[in-house]
Amino acid sequence: MVDGATTGLFLDAAGMKALGAAIAIAITGYASAIAEKDIGTAAIGAMAENEGLFGKGLILTVIPETIVIFGLVVALLINSA
Amino acid sequence: MSRPKEMTRAVIVGHKSILKETIDALHDTNLFHIEDFVEDESGFKISKPFKNGEEVSKKLVKIRSIANYLGIESKKPVVQKSDAVLRELDSKLNELDRTISAKTESISQLENELKDMDSQKREILPYLSIDLDFEYYRGYESLKVFAGTLKSNLEASQISSITQAYELYFDPQSKAVVLFVAKNDADKVYELLQGLGFKELRVPERGGVPSELLRSIEQREAEVTRRIESFKGEIESLKTRYADFILASDEVLSIESQKAELPLRIATSENAFIIDGWTPTESYDKLVSVVNSATKGKAYVTSLEVHEEEEESAPVEYNNSKVVAPLQQVMDLYSRPKYTEIDPSSAIFITFPLIYGMILGDIGYALILGTIALAIKKAMKSDAVNDLMNILIYCQISAIIFGVLYGEFLGFSLASLHTVHGVTPGLIPGWETITLFESIGGEEFTFPIHRSHMVMTMIGLSVFVGLLHLNLGYLFGFSNILRHHGMKHAILEKGSWMIIELGAILAAAGYLGGSALMYVGAIVLVLGIVMLAMGEGIAGVVELPSLMGNALSYARIIAVGLSSIYIAGTVNDIAFGMIWSDHSQIGFAAVAAILVFILGHGLNTVLSIIAPGLHALRLQYVEFFGKFYQGGGRKFNPFGYIRKYTEE
Repeated sequence: MVDGATTGLFLDAAGMKALGAAIAIAITGYASAIAEKDIGTAAIGAMAENEGLFGKGLILTVIPETIVIFGLVVALLINSA
Repeated sequence: MSRPKEMTRAVIVGHKSILKETIDALHDTNLFHIEDFVEDESGFKISKPFKNGEEVSKKLVKIRSIANYLGIESKKPVVQKSDAVLRELDSKLNELDRTISAKTESISQLENELKDMDSQKREILPYLSIDLDFEYYRGYESLKVFAGTLKSNLEASQISSITQAYELYFDPQSKAVVLFVAKNDADKVYELLQGLGFKELRVPERGGVPSELLRSIEQREAEVTRRIESFKGEIESLKTRYADFILASDEVLSIESQKAELPLRIATSENAFIIDGWTPTESYDKLVSVVNSATKGKAYVTSLEVHEEEEESAPVEYNNSKVVAPLQQVMDLYSRPKYTEIDPSSAIFITFPLIYGMILGDIGYALILGTIALAIKKAMKSDAVNDLMNILIYCQISAIIFGVLYGEFLGFSLASLHTVHGVTPGLIPGWETITLFESIGGEEFTFPIHRSHMVMTMIGLSVFVGLLHLNLGYLFGFSNILRHHGMKHAILEKGSWMIIELGAILAAAGYLGGSALMYVGAIVLVLGIVMLAMGEGIAGVVELPSLMGNALSYARIIAVGLSSIYIAGTVNDIAFGMIWSDHSQIGFAAVAAILVFILGHGLNTVLSIIAPGLHALRLQYVEFFGKFYQGGGRKFNPFGYIRKYTEE
C-alpha cells in the first residue's frame, strides 16, 4: 500500500485528538505540581511558626490548581469537538 | 445576611475599694471583653495582682502537677458547689499531696531495692554451679583463693603438675572456677590460669550457699514487686476517688487566678480604677444593672461613642442561628470577619454543601459518609468535632439530592441509558432516562443527568453556578462598601464588575445571534471597564482577566466529579469482570472481586471527603471571598469562665 508508511507514522484523527487531550492534561498537571510544590513547602514552613495560617496556606497552595483545571477543560473540549 | 453581633464600648470607673466586687460581678456575667490597658502618659498605671494571687497560682500549679501525675482527663462533669470546694481545698490538697508524695517515695525506695537485688543476683549467678558457702572463700593465712571465669577448659592435671596442695571447683559449662592453692604456689598457678584467660570475679560479701541465696533474693524480689504494684493500685484508686475534686478545684482556682490577675490588665490611679472593654449591645443593660447591684451603685458605668477607626478593632462575636453555627468553623479556619463587614457564614451554609453535592453527587457514597459522620458525632462529645460532623452531614444531604438528580449509586447508573451504541441498563429496572431538550455541543439534556455523557453541558452549568456565586460575592462587597463609603464607591468598585459581566453576556449573545445586540453589549462592556478604572484605578483593569479565570475555575465542579465517577466505574468494571468471567463456581476470583470492590470503594470514599471538600472550600475561599472578604477580626473573648465542674 502506498500510504502504509503514513498510517504507521501518524495516527488517525481520533488518535490525534486523544493524544492532544493527553498532552493538555499531562503538561498542565505537571505545571500545577511544580507550582504547588514550592508554595506548599513555604506554607508548611509558615504553619510550623503559626498554626493559625492553615487557612491562608491552604488557599495559596491550591491556587495553581486552576492550571490543571484549565487543562482538563481544554482536554474535554478537544474530545467533544 | 448577618453581621457580627453589635458591640458597645463600655467603661467602668470606680474607687479601688469596690474593685473586687466589680471584678467578681464582671466575671460572673461573662459578657465583658476587657481591653488590656497599655501604660501611657495619662498617669494611670496597671495595678498589682490581688493578695491571694500568688497563693492561688501556687495551688493551681500543685493541683495541675498532681492531675498530670495521676493522668486525670476531663470527663462527664459532676457539678459541685464552688464554695464547698474552696472550703475543703486546702485540707484535701495537702492530704492528697502528702499521700501521693509518701507513696511515690515508697515506690522509688522499693524500686531502688529491686535494682540492688538485681546486681546481687548478677554477682551470685556465676557461682551457682559451685555449691560452696561464700564464707569459705576468705579468711585464710596460707591459702590463696582464685575465683573467676576462664575462657577454656581447665583439667585437674594441669594444676597437679604444679602442686598437689589444691582444691578445685570447676564448672565446664559456665567455665566458672574456684581454686584454693597454697600461697607458695600461687604465682605459678596464677600464670597458668592467665594462660587460660582467667578473669577474676568479686566474691559476694555475704555468706551463704549460692543456690539458697539466689532463692531468698528471688523471694524478696517477688515480695517487693508485689508491694510496688499495690502502691500503684492505691495511687490508681486515689485517681478515681479524687478525680472530681481535682477537676473542680482546678476550675475554681483558675477562676480565682483570673480574677486575682485582672488588675494587671486595667488602668488604675492612686485610688481609682478604669476598666475599658466591649460588650454586646443587647447585653449592655444587663451589664450595667449587674455592676450596679454588686457595688450598690458606687461604680460608674457608661457607654462610649465608637468612632469608625475604633469599630475596625471591635471584637467579633458571630450572630448566627444554631443551624448555621457549624459553618463558623470554616470561617475561623480562614479568618474571622472584621466587625465592620458582612459575616458570610449563612451564605457558605448554602453554597459550600451545594458545590460539594454537585461534585460528589452519588447516593451510595453520601449514605456511607453520612452514616460515618452520624456515628462519630454520637461517639465524640467534643464541640469542634461535632461542628465538623454537622458540616459533613449538610454536605451529604446535598450529595444525596444531587445523587438523585444524577442517578448515581457507587458509580453505577440507576437509570437505563439509550445511546447510539445501544441501551445500557440501569440499577433500578424500569427507570428510563428521559431526554428533556437539546443542549450545547450536540448533547441532550436528560433526567437523570448522566454527567459523563453531557460533559459540555455540565461545564456550562458549572460555570453558570460559578457566575451566580461570584455575583453573590460582588453583592456582599457592594453592601460592605455602601455601608462605609457610600453608594458612589459601591457602584464604581463592585457594581462595575456586574456591568462588565452583563456587557460580556449581551455581546456574546448578540455575536451568536448575529444581531445588533452585540454592539449594545460592547458599549455596556466598555462603560463597565471605565467605571472600574474610576473605582479601583488601573489595578482594577489589570484584574479583568481574573474574572474569566475565576468563572472557569468552577469547571472543577464537573472535572473533579468525573474523576470520582471514573474511579468508581473502574472499580466496578474490575470487580464484576472478575466475577462474571467465571460464574460457574464461586472460587478465588469471586473472593478477590469482593475484596477489590470493598477496597476500591473504600479508597474512593476517603477521596470523596478530600477532593470535593477541598475543592468546594477553595471555591469559597479563593473565588468567592476574593470578591468582598477581608477578615482579620478579633475574637470576642469575654472576661469570665464557662463552668463545667462547679457552680456558685
